[in-house]
Amino acid sequence: MPTHAGTPRAENPGEPLIEARGLSRVYRRPRTSLLRPGAAVHALRDVSLTVGRGERYGIVGESGSGKSTLLRLLCALDRPTAGTIAFDGRPVTGRPERDLRFLRENLQIVFQDPMSSLDPRMRVRDLVAEPLVALGLPVGGRVAELLDAVGLPAGAADRYPHQFSGGQRQRIAIARALAPRPKALVADEPVSALDVSVRGQILNLLADLVDELGLTLVFVSHDLSVVRHVCETVAVMHHGEIVESGPVDEVWAAPAHPYTRALLEAVPTLEDLT
Amino acid sequence: MLTVDGLTVDGLGVRAGDTELVREVSFSIGPGERVGLIGESGSGKSLTALSLMGLLPEGVTATGRATLAGRDLIGVPESRLKRLRGRDLSMVFQEPMTALNPLMRVGAQVAEVMTLHGRGRREARARAVELLERVRLPEPEQLARAYPHQLSGGQRQRVMLAIALANEPALLICDEPTTALDVTVQKRMLDLIAEVAPALLFITHDLAVVAAVCERVLVMYGGRVVESGPIREVFTRPRHRYTEGLLAASRLTPRGTRLPTISGSVPAAGHFPGGCVFGNRCPHADALCETVPALTGEGHAHACRHPAG
Repeated sequence: MPTHAGTPRAENPGEPLIEARGLSRVYRRPRTSLLRPGAAVHALRDVSLTVGRGERYGIVGESGSGKSTLLRLLCALDRPTAGTIAFDGRPVTGRPERDLRFLRENLQIVFQDPMSSLDPRMRVRDLVAEPLVALGLPVGGRVAELLDAVGLPAGAADRYPHQFSGGQRQRIAIARALAPRPKALVADEPVSALDVSVRGQILNLLADLVDELGLTLVFVSHDLSVVRHVCETVAVMHHGEIVESGPVDEVWAAPAHPYTRALLEAVPTLEDLT
Repeated sequence: MLTVDGLTVDGLGVRAGDTELVREVSFSIGPGERVGLIGESGSGKSLTALSLMGLLPEGVTATGRATLAGRDLIGVPESRLKRLRGRDLSMVFQEPMTALNPLMRVGAQVAEVMTLHGRGRREARARAVELLERVRLPEPEQLARAYPHQLSGGQRQRVMLAIALANEPALLICDEPTTALDVTVQKRMLDLIAEVAPALLFITHDLAVVAAVCERVLVMYGGRVVESGPIREVFTRPRHRYTEGLLAASRLTPRGTRLPTISGSVPAAGHFPGGCVFGNRCPHADALCETVPALTGEGHAHACRHPAG
């Protein structure tokens, strides 16, 4: 059901914010013969999911499972071969970029590698303000406000990404994502490139921001234990399909699909030592 | 600390110009022993491994003493090292794609390390296939004719392991061998490493991985070993505050609770505080910590003025 922009979350919690139905994406390998087309790669097969308003939704899978393809589709960075996506009740699929402003304003992404996702030749001030500039929104004092929200000193605005550690760079990426006051945040393996001691800082920060701002979070990871800490709901992906989904604690305690079980067993833990 | 067979490292230091990167690292690995070296990026663990291999980048020099089966590894000319490297000790690197030659078939790459150390070409080729089978690669005969890009990440890492094992080395060094792999592939690789390694120095930042493979662990921070001992002891009763913080941060607490963290971040090389290297991030640091604490204790040793537990 469409809702007008800016509706507070509390008024309609649990109502779907992101809805994907029957998503498929087929890539073609480059052709190796003049007579035959290149082989088809089914990166996604008939994937459906619903992310409720204010929900923390985790997607788990190994490389090649299709989770990055799914993310690209959800963010309208790529088009599905079949299926539909709706955001906040409005269709995303099949629209030209100029009609996607509602999505760009309300859905932002944090990438895995904070080094390659921040332009090394831009100052932090310009990096964080970029989504606002791109959308034609006033910048004003927003950069200082955002840097403060992610725990960076105001002086950071005049520096370049290489002057920061990995954890601090990920804070910059989060500040940038939050700039247009989005309703939903998509995080693609945001802590995989970080050291353990810093991982906790970033996960705590994400949790605080999601709570404070009432964000909807789509959190992608290869590590089910991280997803369990962050999310309520999880979808396990394997070979381009969602093989299991549900409340994360249930999936964790009693995995129904053999792949989920294999995934859980393979994760090394420190628990056996204590 | 006189082991004739295994690896003995005594007072190892690494420096680049005036910057001290690794300081006073001492440990030993007996035959058949599996030792983990853990720490965050920038703690000096890879430099420690590279200095043992004699592969330090230009301008970076190692001091101190390290011997493997009585042979010196540090401060000896390249011509001597060349005979040891790949034969008496070998290393598996983190990135199999950059470590393998993209223009050479993998079988030839496994054979090369044997012909370089004086084995006949035909014999080396036959043994290469055996080795590929030993690291559990399917259809080793066909696979030997494949190029690295035709293999998956896990398969490439197995090829690296086959190369490392080719000359039956006395010591295998693995530097984050599974960081680039998926968890299910990682598990099989770790089981394999634990099974085939003669004596192992296993470098990782992942505490759970080291617990799965090693018996003993060295915790490095700021270029020093700050704690060492049997895995179970170190991980259940950590003494150094850094190890304590690292363990706390590695255990994910239930949803809705705050994760324990270590404040700040790892300083850049050369910017660690004088005295205890962890002093500027430690909640227990005081004036006492301004002098360097020595690594003390038999078996389970730690270098901390205010140890936990």
